[in-house]
Amino acid sequence: MDGANLRKTAEVVPSRLAANRLGTLRFRLAIAMIALYLAMMAFVIHSARQATQATVVAADFGPAMIALASCMAFSIILTGLFVLMRHVD
Amino acid sequence: MLLVLAIAFTVDADGSAYSAQSASQIREADLSTVVFFVVFAVLTLLISFWAARRATSSSEYLTAGSSISSGQNGLAIAGDYMSAGAFLGLSGAIYASGLDGMFLAASYLASWPIVLFLVAEPLRRLGKYSFADVLTHRLRERPTRILAGGSTLVVVSFYLVAQMVGAGELISLLFGIGYGPAVIMVGLLMIVFSTLGGMRAATWVQIIKAILMLGGSAIITTLALARFGFNVSDLLKMAASNHPNGSNIMNIRGFAQDGVATLSLGVGILFGTAGLPHILMRFFTVSDERAARVSVFYATCLIALFFSMLFVIGYGSIALLRGDPTYANASGALFGGNNLAPIHLAKAVGGSILAGFISAVAFATILAVVSGLIIAGASSAANDLVVGLSGRHLHEGMRLRISRVAAMTLGILGILLGLACEGQNVAYLLALATAIAASANFPLLLLAIYWDGLTTRGAVVGGTFGLVSSVVLTAMGPTIWSKVLGLGPAIFPYDSPALFTLPLTLFVCWLVSIAKAEPQGDWRLAQPAAAQYVE
Repeated sequence: MDGANLRKTAEVVPSRLAANRLGTLRFRLAIAMIALYLAMMAFVIHSARQATQATVVAADFGPAMIALASCMAFSIILTGLFVLMRHVD
Repeated sequence: MLLVLAIAFTVDADGSAYSAQSASQIREADLSTVVFFVVFAVLTLLISFWAARRATSSSEYLTAGSSISSGQNGLAIAGDYMSAGAFLGLSGAIYASGLDGMFLAASYLASWPIVLFLVAEPLRRLGKYSFADVLTHRLRERPTRILAGGSTLVVVSFYLVAQMVGAGELISLLFGIGYGPAVIMVGLLMIVFSTLGGMRAATWVQIIKAILMLGGSAIITTLALARFGFNVSDLLKMAASNHPNGSNIMNIRGFAQDGVATLSLGVGILFGTAGLPHILMRFFTVSDERAARVSVFYATCLIALFFSMLFVIGYGSIALLRGDPTYANASGALFGGNNLAPIHLAKAVGGSILAGFISAVAFATILAVVSGLIIAGASSAANDLVVGLSGRHLHEGMRLRISRVAAMTLGILGILLGLACEGQNVAYLLALATAIAASANFPLLLLAIYWDGLTTRGAVVGGTFGLVSSVVLTAMGPTIWSKVLGLGPAIFPYDSPALFTLPLTLFVCWLVSIAKAEPQGDWRLAQPAAAQYVE
């Protein structure tokens, strides 16, 4: 360990393969989360620009609030789903 | 982290988010506040002395011996997000302009699934002390460690200065002492705490603080809702009737102005968390990958709970404080600044004792966050920068000594810069740190973990491009170029450049990597193989 250079070890390869065994699942969930977040963002911006006084006054929990809450809920659901599926795997 | 963006909605004309309307309106410390403060300060010192007795190795000092459980780590991670910036800044943002603050909260919460899916497990499997360990399991060590170490120290330094300035202003307001003594007090406690106790002490203070913050927020939320018969709808209606913007506070307003700017901000938040060094270090403190992913799940749930309570606290502040001359002036601005909304609300619903408790918890929050920053910086200094520059790995005793010296140095630097930046609006430093994390650290991590074609040259060139471009474009943005430097119209029209810098960094990494293959041969420094990091 002191002074001698070591070659790249072969043990790295199994680690990388292990990292990608559920690669499809993790990337699909990541894309799903990104898409959900962008959809939420687009929706709240759109609803803010389209909001009329009558519409806003009528609602306590407006569409923007519901969109934000949904995004937060999905964040929890997707993390829980991933943890559960990894435990089952 | 949330402080910088929340402050954007609460900053006064003089640039300070904590501006007092006048000296006479600066809150004098209640006895309860002082008592709780002293109790927390003594508690943190006791924890640091306890942890110091165990911190006899670099593994124990930097990563708590990887012995933190998933539940403890989940609380600690959540504690990093239940910062004074979130608690005070987010509530203040909601008080000032309504739902825009919750947009930030939802964005930060959405970043945690990204961390879990893409980074948490590989980080724990392939790294030990810093995210550079993940990069260097295939790439040449010296240039990669120098880049990662430099990027980490830049991010940590920006964060640290912003936290120290915010801490000085907050402590000064809460306890009625001067800014300078406040910064020095926080800094000295931070140095003692971090240098002695290391990661185990920082983790336990985060855990205790998270529990206290959740408990305190729950009490304020419950008491505020009780005023409206636990009817959230009635609370919101009262808030809308009190606020000059009326029912518009139920909608996003500020972030709806410019879609591209909002998208860029969102990209920075979404991917920035997965590149913040002091967050990534949390995954080295647990025993294995399973604990890493479970801790992220716990953290996500706790952060969501906290943000939900902040929703009630923010709107409850509008409903109960606006128009009350005890807490707000004629224009509706709270005495001491809108960021003190939760503390004023605590006093309104729970009296001085609850307000004093919450104030002291805010102090503990600051201490926990800055100690985590210090340790992340110290780890990177010892494991990345020193190793990269010297070309030699450190033996155990030297690594521990350098880590402690680096922690002390960063602490002193934080105090000096905090004193030098008194009265200045340094919130942009947090935005800059997030931009660097999203534009340099995260792309490198992503490619190093999932793409076999990444070369050392590609990583170094791409990472440097991400670091420089994020700094330059943020500096040329409206906040720094126009408001801080006063150089006229901004050259780059957006405060957050992540929408542009992140994909560009990925492209540069890819382009340089495919242009020239990695040279074969022995290039690694003497070190244990990557597989040995999985204990």
